[in-house]
Amino acid sequence: MFKKILFATAGTPSCDAAARVSFDMAKRYNAKLFTIHVFGVPSRSFSQVLKDIRTGNEIDLHDDQLGKIKSELEETYEQQIKDYTPCETIVTNGIPHTEILRVARKKNIDLIVMGARTSTAKKMSPLSRNIIGSTLQGVARSAKCPVLIIGRAAASFWGGISNIVLGTDFSKASDRAFGFAFDLTLMFHASLHIFHAIDIRSDPYKNTKNQEVIEDRIREVRKMIRKKYISRMGSYADYEIDVWEGIPHVEVVKYSRENFADLIVVAHHTKKMIPEEEVFGSTVEQIVLRSNAPVISFNHPVRKKRDI
Amino acid sequence: MTKKIMIIDDDPVIVKYLETIFHNSGYITCVARDGSEGIDIVKREKPDLITLDLEMPEEWGPRFYRKLSKEKEFKNIPVIVISGLSGNRYAIHKAVASLTKPFDKDVLLKIVTDTIGK
Repeated sequence: MFKKILFATAGTPSCDAAARVSFDMAKRYNAKLFTIHVFGVPSRSFSQVLKDIRTGNEIDLHDDQLGKIKSELEETYEQQIKDYTPCETIVTNGIPHTEILRVARKKNIDLIVMGARTSTAKKMSPLSRNIIGSTLQGVARSAKCPVLIIGRAAASFWGGISNIVLGTDFSKASDRAFGFAFDLTLMFHASLHIFHAIDIRSDPYKNTKNQEVIEDRIREVRKMIRKKYISRMGSYADYEIDVWEGIPHVEVVKYSRENFADLIVVAHHTKKMIPEEEVFGSTVEQIVLRSNAPVISFNHPVRKKRDI
Repeated sequence: MTKKIMIIDDDPVIVKYLETIFHNSGYITCVARDGSEGIDIVKREKPDLITLDLEMPEEWGPRFYRKLSKEKEFKNIPVIVISGLSGNRYAIHKAVASLTKPFDKDVLLKIVTDTIGK
């Protein structure tokens, strides 16, 4: 399923965790690994062309300049490349998410791996929000293949997929996420945990103190999971259904931690008609940033592969 | 009764070093070179405490700990994570402590004696 993996990196320590998972995953599943770094115009945002910062004149991008950056990147991941050789390093300039998507399309990539953001600040300013980077948003929004996101270093202490948590909100995209999660479950002979969190902050639960209403809802949701998902799993028995009440992203993070998830599969919010217009919903964003397992999130139906 | 410490690490230098530290402090030890052989050795040796590396060739530390926590008899064996990976204190949230290599042996011994005694 993951024959070609694209690891998008800024080459900074903030991408080390994503590098760890990318190389380990490629090695474990005999995949070809492409490492891509996209650099832009020095200062003043990104561009398709390189300009001298002082004169503003356009500079030709010589092969030796690209070569220099490429060898620097290969030096950064020297140890990993030594351990696993089917790797190719790609260095280019332009708008990062556009170039990453372009390469993914050209190379027919099965999985893109990225960190959640490239900021190396250890402690965020009290005024800044806990948010994911714009490159990841751009890639996740339009990628035609799943995007595996490593939000924290703790999400990279990994070593294979044997416990998958599917977080569902019963949207159409969640149905596709289920299909994908189940394919992975079969492929890796994994346990599939199907999880839904009832948001107690929202109506009709917000104004009620009645726990029975919530527990009735939990029962209904469990039934819904059986009807929607379990009925599609045939005789596969290694699964669990869990429904908790609380704040959805907190519950997914807690549930994944307690169940030692190796992978969380979630779908973007899907209220908009055009997937390209979707950005991460706040729940998915916070799951990505807080969970101690890698998260696969996707927006589009996954390309049908012959080997799925 | 002499307490037994199990060392799970793929680096023979670290294993040797930990064995020396623990033997000099009156503990006995047993060793697993990878998480994958860890559970069998736990069942055979019944250690009082485990030191656990995170990144190992076959099976990583967290995966070993997952298996350990499913074993009723062994799930409460205290685990100390010893790893060179940054952020290792978040890898196993029920670990009694997490140390980053290179670590101070006195700190390690204090954690061990505080946890299982002499």
